[in-house]
Amino acid sequence: MNILISFLLAILSSMLIDNVVLSRFYGICPFLGVSRKVKSSLGMGVAVVFVIVLATVICWPLYNFVLVPAGIPFMDTVAYILVIASLVQLVGLFIKKYSPSLYKSLGIYLPLITTNCAVLGVAQGNTDQGLNFLSSLANGIGTSVGFLLIIVVFSCIRVRLESSNVPKAFKGLPIALIVAAIMAIAFMGLQGLFSGIQL
Amino acid sequence: MTKEAYLIIAIVILVALLVTFIVSFVLYRKTPVPKGCENIEINEENCSHCSHKECSHFIKRDEE
Repeated sequence: MNILISFLLAILSSMLIDNVVLSRFYGICPFLGVSRKVKSSLGMGVAVVFVIVLATVICWPLYNFVLVPAGIPFMDTVAYILVIASLVQLVGLFIKKYSPSLYKSLGIYLPLITTNCAVLGVAQGNTDQGLNFLSSLANGIGTSVGFLLIIVVFSCIRVRLESSNVPKAFKGLPIALIVAAIMAIAFMGLQGLFSGIQL
Repeated sequence: MTKEAYLIIAIVILVALLVTFIVSFVLYRKTPVPKGCENIEINEENCSHCSHKECSHFIKRDEE
């Protein structure tokens, strides 16, 4: 029971306190690029959740059971990039084949999941910090759901901004960046909510 | 198992990952673009900060 609670707390911690978009500026490109419509941001968020969780599940054993025993842990980045690129191609293939509406709404941003550094950052961070599998999984789930949460909330705000009276100099990306900064400050307020979580 | 055996397994897995990527890439390219998505509009404002080199808009902008 304690492990389950710690697992859930670790997910919440990565999701709200260590949110990669707002605290480390990972994944800014899709965050700004795909957040004009709620539907497309939701699609991008779900695709990123799928890719990050699967990448975590594959990369952790790959590093600990293959690369480290073989004496080539320095090949981790190459291996992770191959895993992530393959996963993104498969997700893209699935969306292209079975969900034309999502394909259209994501548009040119679909390949951006590959260049979303949050995906590589989570996989790399898990091994660099020496986390065990359960902690890595919690970190992966929390980070990806945090990305989904932030991009959807941000797109909802941007939809409202479209119809609000913003000074000309701030229209478009400047006001979006100011909103992102205010969101980051708001999430900073959650620091210290959970501390000393050990799985 | 010896270290050499682990090394061979690691190389095989990395090659398998590379093959998986190439196969999925070829399949993605061969899958026809859904109807109505042939000419997806570019949003100049949002595209200006992005530098994805495979994007047709980026290539066009780079040439200009």
